[in-house]
Amino acid sequence: MIFLIFVELLILLIASSFSGIIGSLTGLGGATFLVPIYTLYLGIPFPYAAGASLISTIATSSGAGSAYIKDKITNVKIGMGLEIATTLGSIVGSLTVVFIFTHHLEYIVYLIFGGVLLSQVYVQLTKSKYELPKPAKPDWTTKFFQLKGEYYDAVLGQKVEYHGIRWWLGETIMFFAGFISGLLGIGSGALKVLAMDWAMNLPMKVSTTTSNFMIGVTAATGSAIYWAHGYIQPFLAAGTAIGVLIGAYIGTKILVRITSKSIRYIFTAILVFLGIQMILRGLGYGF
Amino acid sequence: MDFEDVVGYALRIGVIISAIFLVTGLLLIFVKSNPAYITNEFLYSNSSTVNAYEIPVRLTSLNFMYFLYFGLIVLIATPIMRVLIGIFQFVRERNWIYVIITAIVFFNLMVAIFILPKFMALILS
Repeated sequence: MIFLIFVELLILLIASSFSGIIGSLTGLGGATFLVPIYTLYLGIPFPYAAGASLISTIATSSGAGSAYIKDKITNVKIGMGLEIATTLGSIVGSLTVVFIFTHHLEYIVYLIFGGVLLSQVYVQLTKSKYELPKPAKPDWTTKFFQLKGEYYDAVLGQKVEYHGIRWWLGETIMFFAGFISGLLGIGSGALKVLAMDWAMNLPMKVSTTTSNFMIGVTAATGSAIYWAHGYIQPFLAAGTAIGVLIGAYIGTKILVRITSKSIRYIFTAILVFLGIQMILRGLGYGF
Repeated sequence: MDFEDVVGYALRIGVIISAIFLVTGLLLIFVKSNPAYITNEFLYSNSSTVNAYEIPVRLTSLNFMYFLYFGLIVLIATPIMRVLIGIFQFVRERNWIYVIITAIVFFNLMVAIFILPKFMALILS
């Protein structure tokens, strides 16, 4: 029995640190890969896989967040303002998934998860054309919500001053980001970046670090509801959190060295593969 | 030490404390192995079977399960602490719009943790 538990823990740690590595290399976060691997290959029921994965996003968000704050790129005001929408979205998303699980409608979350994975392919392939956004005229929200900031960009070698616009559009997208996070147990960082980078016209670095800062608070909201409904399995969640933390750490070390495009294509292929499998599972085909 | 340093340390300390408890809990399965309680049902039990308020007290039993639960609670509490520190930060800056905004975020968190579970239990029962 003890030996079997040891083997199982080892498999969990390997699977979750692998997810953590590719999650950090693609910038999608470990959870995106974790839930498909757990449900498709390790036979873990979706609610437990989502619960463990949501917990692991808090670990990576807080772990990386403590490092980012030193660089002062994270915009705490913009992040906090948008968290009104992500926490509300997460509440609605988690309650929706409680309804789905209690009515045994799991196929819905498999289909949505597959769709989310496949939609990331586009994001992966068109990523980072411009580091800084084209300057846009400030609107009333810029002034009222103080959507301004500056940071020192080490790559560009200059101080960057920026301002955000369309706060309401950012909030709207953030509600959906929170909803998806609560529904699928992922950080939904890509959607958060979209809200800040595309909707609010913020620099890429500000969007990604602020998104990371927000993921922890969003996931804590969902976790509380998951917890109450018994979707957190401590053994699974603990092993996963530790594994993803290790993986994310290794990922950031590799990231410094790898900038090759071919690697991005390999990860994109993994995304497509897992996405199709999740959809097939949702439609009731094998796997 | 300014607020940003406090925030950075709070996040790091939260993750480290949580990781210590989680790793200790996982090790306890193998070190202090009392095969009697490590049954499948126990190992794969979930969070609906435990009273969250009892967890800190039960740590003294050195039962691995409570170490895992405690580590997870610390992990979930870390970003919440961060929001709480944020309220104080904006009060000190006299930035009242953001005091209100941060308070709303904190309120949402409290609703999710304390109010909704009870409400849902009523509906589902």
